[in-house]
Amino acid sequence: MSGVHLVWQAAAVMVGSGVVGLVYKGLDRKLAARMQARVGPPLRQPFLDLGKLLMKETVVPRDAVGWLFSAMPFLAAVASFTALLYLPWGPFPPILRGYGDAVLVLYLLAVPALAMALGGFASGSPLATVGGQREIVMLMSYEFPLAVALVGVVWRLRALEVGPAFSLATISANPLWTAVGPLGVFGLAILLGCLLVVTPAELSKIPFDIPEAETEIAGGLMVEYSGTYLALFYLADAVKTVAMAALVVTLFIPYGIAAPLGVKGVGGQVLDVAFFLVKVFVVMFAAVTTVRVAMARFKVDQVVRGFWLQITAAAVAGLVLLVLDKAVMG
Amino acid sequence: MILKILFSQLFTRPATNRFPAKYMPKSVTGFLGKIQSGKTKLVPPVPVPPRFRGRIAYDRDKCIGCQLCIRVCPAKVIQFRPEVKKIRMHVTRCTFCAQCVDACPVDALAVSDQFLLADPDRSAESLTVE
Amino acid sequence: MAEAENTFRIPIGPIHPALKEPIRLSFQVEGERIVGVEIRTGFAHRGIEYMGMRRNLIQVLYLAERICGICSISHPIALTQAVEQAAGIEVPPRAQYIRVIISELERIHSHLLWAGVAAHELGFDTLLHLTWKVREKVLDILEELTGNRINYAIPIYGGVRRDIAPDQHPKVQDTIRYYRGLLDELLDTFLRDPSVEARTRGVGVLEPEEADALCAVGPTARASGLAKDVRQDRPYLAYGELGVKAITPRDWGLEPRGDVYDKIVVRLLEVGQSLDLIERALLEMPDGEITSFPKIPALLAHLKKAHGEGLGWHEAPRGEVIHYVRLEAGVEEPVVWKVKAPTYSNLMSWEPMFEGQEIADIPIIAASIDPCICCMDRVHMVRDGSEATMHKEELLRLSREKTRRITDHGSRITGLGGVR
Repeated sequence: MSGVHLVWQAAAVMVGSGVVGLVYKGLDRKLAARMQARVGPPLRQPFLDLGKLLMKETVVPRDAVGWLFSAMPFLAAVASFTALLYLPWGPFPPILRGYGDAVLVLYLLAVPALAMALGGFASGSPLATVGGQREIVMLMSYEFPLAVALVGVVWRLRALEVGPAFSLATISANPLWTAVGPLGVFGLAILLGCLLVVTPAELSKIPFDIPEAETEIAGGLMVEYSGTYLALFYLADAVKTVAMAALVVTLFIPYGIAAPLGVKGVGGQVLDVAFFLVKVFVVMFAAVTTVRVAMARFKVDQVVRGFWLQITAAAVAGLVLLVLDKAVMG
Repeated sequence: MILKILFSQLFTRPATNRFPAKYMPKSVTGFLGKIQSGKTKLVPPVPVPPRFRGRIAYDRDKCIGCQLCIRVCPAKVIQFRPEVKKIRMHVTRCTFCAQCVDACPVDALAVSDQFLLADPDRSAESLTVE
Repeated sequence: MAEAENTFRIPIGPIHPALKEPIRLSFQVEGERIVGVEIRTGFAHRGIEYMGMRRNLIQVLYLAERICGICSISHPIALTQAVEQAAGIEVPPRAQYIRVIISELERIHSHLLWAGVAAHELGFDTLLHLTWKVREKVLDILEELTGNRINYAIPIYGGVRRDIAPDQHPKVQDTIRYYRGLLDELLDTFLRDPSVEARTRGVGVLEPEEADALCAVGPTARASGLAKDVRQDRPYLAYGELGVKAITPRDWGLEPRGDVYDKIVVRLLEVGQSLDLIERALLEMPDGEITSFPKIPALLAHLKKAHGEGLGWHEAPRGEVIHYVRLEAGVEEPVVWKVKAPTYSNLMSWEPMFEGQEIADIPIIAASIDPCICCMDRVHMVRDGSEATMHKEELLRLSREKTRRITDHGSRITGLGGVR
């Protein structure tokens, strides 16, 4: 693949994911509003918000560690966009395949959270410091079940010997549900459930929005951020939502629609991309929008206990079921 | 339980009354012009009950200039005009308690159903009753 | 407060999303745990009592209504009772029932508003929108009965200003039916929701002994198991005939623990209690006059002649509110007007409630007493541009001086029949 080709594709993915992220954010807000019997903002509101933030003055507090405070929004945005370059978009394999695999995506998804925490600490505000502590604690609690879910899928795939198991291209090309026995299906369902629970935590959405907790610490991590920097975090959040949902889709529902319908060529590809976007939307609606309107915010110790005990136990149980399935299926 | 409520609300009309329009128009004056020319319609406000306490209506001819309303008005809305022995009301200050209506011995004052009284100019004609 | 090595200070307020009104809470925290709290009030002081002492009594009535936007009939009810006592005015029975009906409607609206705010503090905005959506109905009926959605301007010395017409009865009964059907759903969404329970059980506990010692009032005290309700303990208006029993979590079949959950229980059950009261008041309401002074000039003249002291009380949605007035013959304005709002009594219970809790609990604990800061801010000391704090000893000395001054002035405390 030529370098120019790569740059062109990467740029397309970045712009595309930015637009999709903001549109989905608009959909999320609109649907959440409707579920609460409100009218809600117009669909284009995230674009207006972003535009407005970019026009506003960017204030760096006097007590802040300037360079760290300024660097973190860029780091968060870059990491979120980069994660998408390693994820397949429907029928198209990841652009940067061969340069990194599923584990790298996990790291890239953790980077924005770390960047936000560091930026919060660097801002010098006590509210942001509390937010930063909470973000780090959250990160430590939800990463393990997330990793278990990923490893479970990869390990089972490896046993099928269909190619480099950690490559997301392989994962998306070989749906596991039909390849495993009934025990395995049950295990996979548990892992999918765990991943769906982790999703709002990874994205700091209610009930896991404790690092930002508007009524408690007034926006926490974000309390000192304004203007362009806030816009970058806003964009990073929108893109990360798509990335996280895309990861769930890739791991557990990598099915296309074109082949069963018998549509071939460019039309089939377009159909598959559209279907992929629909799947991402469904995951986002189920794991983010519905959850965030149906629950109260948890406290950080409740989250840690929940993830380390119940969710981790469930994830490990799913993993064990997959192992047993392998033993049964041979 | 809560999910049932959420999904039923997702498919029903929002509870919000979209007065005066669903979203902020690009230009308010343009929007008002469109309404006047009949191109768009204003979403009507929630109807008010029959004995609603809106802007005070004043019947000048009945007024005898007793100033009782001035004595009971908690917000000092009413100004006496000694030259004609009538009153002038500055609606911007009004708290809509309608105590002046109760106090008036000749029923020169009454409550009306008008409540859309916003105006950038506090001494605008719509905000002065005399 | 000693600054320990690993604690730091988190300021909440005067302006903060968790607070609906300005007050400053300065927390000493150790990680997420609160080890100390300092409360500073006085940001919403408006000098209402001073203003009232410069207006005639009818004008004071509407000022009293504006002490609090939510309990906008509680203050006028307490004030009218105080003035009626001082001036020896009788209130016709029908007017008493109308006052009860409006104030119970207000309790419904206030408790629903509180439930929404509490849900918002928990990060559960859906419940906020849900409760505020259904709250519209009670505001509509208040608008129908009084002409205003808030600040109803209904009580006046000697009665009420508007009757409830026969054609309005079905509308009120409609509202009662609407809320009866809804109450179970609300109780279910609030009290049986696992995430609400996780956030409110065992949070902000106020032991009954503490509640008693700190003179907590209203739902704050009742949630701790103290069966304390002015309507029950010292009946006034038509409450004696209607018979009110203080609601505690025991009515929901739970042993009171005094936490935030219990406060939700008490407030939601009180909505049901208010519905019963309104229904009965509407049925038992006698016919007759609605005021003993249909003509305002006569009322003004009577009030000007009046001489004496009066104390009025009412169980506001937040707890007991007390108004004290002293009138002098020949003076239109009240010579003394003193207001004690429920939050004033409840504020002290914040300290034991915050102790040992987490930062995440601050908003819901702060909201759990349903604070009304602008009701409560009656005194603010600013001397030579610097803030001064009055301590107990000094306040005691000042109040003794004032008692001496008042008694020297020659007036006797009169007309305070049943007050100990």
